[in-house]
Amino acid sequence: MGLERWIRDAMWSYNGNLEPLHELEDRGDEIVVTLDLPGVEKENVEINTTEDSVEIKAKMSEAVCWERWGSVQRRITFQQFRKQIKLPEQIDPEKASASLKNGILRISLPKKRTKVLIPIQ
Amino acid sequence: MKEVSIVEERGVEHKNPIVIEGLPDVGLVGTIAASYIVEKMKYNEIGYIESDLFPPVMVIHGGRMKSPLCLYGNEEVIVVSSEIAIPPNAVYPLTRALADWFSSINAALVISITGLPVKNRMDIEKPEVFAVGNSEEALKELKAKRVELLQEGFIAGTYAIMLRECYKRELNAISLLAQCFPVYPDPGAAASAIDSLDKFLQLGIDVGELLEKEGEIKLKARDLMRQTALSASEMQKSAEQDMPFMYR
Repeated sequence: MGLERWIRDAMWSYNGNLEPLHELEDRGDEIVVTLDLPGVEKENVEINTTEDSVEIKAKMSEAVCWERWGSVQRRITFQQFRKQIKLPEQIDPEKASASLKNGILRISLPKKRTKVLIPIQ
Repeated sequence: MKEVSIVEERGVEHKNPIVIEGLPDVGLVGTIAASYIVEKMKYNEIGYIESDLFPPVMVIHGGRMKSPLCLYGNEEVIVVSSEIAIPPNAVYPLTRALADWFSSINAALVISITGLPVKNRMDIEKPEVFAVGNSEEALKELKAKRVELLQEGFIAGTYAIMLRECYKRELNAISLLAQCFPVYPDPGAAASAIDSLDKFLQLGIDVGELLEKEGEIKLKARDLMRQTALSASEMQKSAEQDMPFMYR
């Protein structure tokens, strides 16, 4: 890994938002997105979906503040996770569902039905 | 110069030490566990590992510069830990250099702590720990300690090569694999692994604080997890989800 990329990846955005770790899995009929949201309660999660994207805003129960952190910032505070994810296929936003357990948010996004089963006669 | 050098800074007189290896891997289980063990046991830094194969990075803690790959411990226990992801091209030279060093100090047992990624981790309250041994003697030890053995499957990454390199040097080595999230730091899995480690070392470490501070640890480990996930994709970690073929 190049030094420049290593440094860029190590830098955190400084707008009060933190990009959460996330994983996207294509399960055939649905896309499942999970996000690691430590310190977040269910009531403080907002999920907005369109046919090809999902946006998550999740407020932490307590702001996180680190002093003397890093070589650029000396003090950094975060209050919210925020992530916008472009989906690889179109989904049906009306059928989306989500659950939060032990700080892990799981969003199930059923794909738009484009396949039709043809019976063999 | 060797590709990887183990540098001992303090003149520790090794007495057949047990080695705990906690290098970054899935769920950062080993890294979190190693860091917690070092803090709770108040182990001193006894050396470091250097290589041109590692990123050109040093770490600053409390104003002091140190190597990101460090050795901690005392005469009887050594902990190997890293604050950076191990680049895939460094895995073989690093494990060979470590195994050579473990052999030279007559290590009694090498224990790698790592994770076993499971899809339903979200629904598991207390992760189970499985083990792999590199020799008949190591397997006997695991059975005696009633640790459940991983019966079938692929293992990939630093710990897998460590088992092999130790075997080649007739060193007993085992891996403790705690069920974990593949790409999220998993202090809960690290807690299970530490509990299981107690069967071998009787360190008597209370993992309560590790579980209490789970959220904070996850946030602090976020960048290392991202680096590790990038390295893991090149190490064929996904093979661990595959079924090995064996006709019999």
